[in-house]
Amino acid sequence: MRQRPGTTGAPAGLRSALTPTAVAVSVVVVVCLLDLGLAIRAHGDMAHRTPLLSLPPFVEVLVLVGTSLVALAAATRSRLALIRAETARVGADEEAKRLLQVIDNSPAVIYMRDREGRYLLVNRRYEELFGIRREEIVGRTDFDMFPPEAAADFRANDLKALASGAAVQAEESVPQVDGAHTYITLKYPLTDIAGRHYAICGISTDITDLKRAEEEANRLNAGLESRVRERTAELEASTRELDAFAYSVSHDLRAPLRAVAGFSELILEDYGSALDATGRDYLSRVVAATTRMSRLIDDLLTLSRATRAELSWRPVDLSAMARRILADLRSAEAEPDRPMELIVEDGLHATGDPALLELALQNLISNAWKFTAKQDKALIHVGVERLADGGCAFFVRDTGAGFDMRYADKLFVPFQRLHSVDDFAGTGIGLAIVGRIINRHGGRIWAEGHPEHGAVFRFVLPERRPVLREGGTR
Amino acid sequence: MNDSPILLAEDNPDDVLLTRRAFTKNGFDNPIIAVADGQACLQALLPEHGPAVDPALVLLDINLPKVGGLEVLGRLRADPRTRIVPVVILTTSREPRDVVEGYRLGANSYVCKPVSFTTFVAVVRTLATYWLRVNEPRPRTGVVP
Repeated sequence: MRQRPGTTGAPAGLRSALTPTAVAVSVVVVVCLLDLGLAIRAHGDMAHRTPLLSLPPFVEVLVLVGTSLVALAAATRSRLALIRAETARVGADEEAKRLLQVIDNSPAVIYMRDREGRYLLVNRRYEELFGIRREEIVGRTDFDMFPPEAAADFRANDLKALASGAAVQAEESVPQVDGAHTYITLKYPLTDIAGRHYAICGISTDITDLKRAEEEANRLNAGLESRVRERTAELEASTRELDAFAYSVSHDLRAPLRAVAGFSELILEDYGSALDATGRDYLSRVVAATTRMSRLIDDLLTLSRATRAELSWRPVDLSAMARRILADLRSAEAEPDRPMELIVEDGLHATGDPALLELALQNLISNAWKFTAKQDKALIHVGVERLADGGCAFFVRDTGAGFDMRYADKLFVPFQRLHSVDDFAGTGIGLAIVGRIINRHGGRIWAEGHPEHGAVFRFVLPERRPVLREGGTR
Repeated sequence: MNDSPILLAEDNPDDVLLTRRAFTKNGFDNPIIAVADGQACLQALLPEHGPAVDPALVLLDINLPKVGGLEVLGRLRADPRTRIVPVVILTTSREPRDVVEGYRLGANSYVCKPVSFTTFVAVVRTLATYWLRVNEPRPRTGVVP
């Protein structure tokens, strides 16, 4: 909407007439006219006045106005001075009272001492705390109030403020009825009109509780740090032990096993004809058992390595990895033509340790392969799906033997097997390795299955390396 | 066909016996000189006095008493007399640090001993065929630079 000019306020002419100068001039004129009226009343009728000079009446009026103005100004000035003096006297008392109220209601201890350390003033908090009235303390020093060391300490801070000519801050320990209190004290010199530092003002705030809390926090922190150090040392020690154990497992446990396997095979080979069928069967079982134990040792070592290995974070193409693993399984299969449907979705990208993720995927896919072995037409599907929470989970799904959900929590525990060795061979460590690897990446894994209706293993990996530093000790 | 002896550094007598058997089973009749610790291995190859064993191949275990296998390897590679003698690490350790250290110190091969004897026989066949038949042996005349 458009506004018509001139409707927003006073007309331009009137507005310019109301400038401050114009107003001041108007006031002076009005005052002069009033004063003229008063003068006429005081000196009588204009007609009876003796003219001082033979001047025209308007000039006389002007002179009258002028002298009246001067008189008025002088009168006003002196009156103002009187009022000011009075105000100053009453104001100073009032001011002092107010200031005293301020300092008396302060929770801080406030005091004033002269250059020699003699008290000039203390606030109510001081009175309460040290049981002395402010009238009684005047003239005394801290050496009359506190033990010598404390008094010397306070005096030293006073002198510091005097010497520096500025405010100084210090922590002071003050002996009180309930023990030593810690104060944070601000001291500054007070200056008289001549610019001389004639006194010290101190404002001391009790920070005992704060100090105690701080000390407690420090103590707890120090304790925490030393506990963390201890725990880290313990963890490092146990990692070293685990390391040494894994090493000796790989060396020392396998050697006797090799002897058992080797000589059993040699007996079968060299003296097999001297044994009957049962004897040969027994020896074959010994050999088979050594093979299983050897696999067990290998898997344990792999589990230990998956736990200890330092993670190197890189982009990983799980699709390519899964295809490679399936191709290897296919070529190692006794019946490479077993009808199977293998689906590997494209674009399964993750970030993590390539070797460990391959080991995890290898175990999951081998598992699916193993548990579908007895089916005529099995399906293994490696893919990705969106979860209810918006995240994405990779999955390995199979149509194999499945499992009872009642035992789902045992799946990722080492040596826990949900099927007999006769049905499906295995050490019961494979899924534990998978679980360990996914956990070390900061991800999670879970499974869903139904007996004879397949299983699906889902896992989520963080998009990138977690911010928390990966400890080598987990 | 290289018919020089094979130096086997192995402290487990069972393994020594099985290794000997694996060689003969594969038709390799090279003498096998077994030493039970690292010190004895160095003594055989780098004696202070007397003649040194000049093997076609050294089979070196890592976990050896007195002087460990990797240290033995390091010393062999540091000495001009044994700088280029073929050394195959034959061990149970699959520890990545051992494998890496073995190669770094100049092992010619790193082979893991399998538990199954049948498999071990096959491994020995491959090793012996390569080092004693396929591979060109180093010249024995003259001083190795």
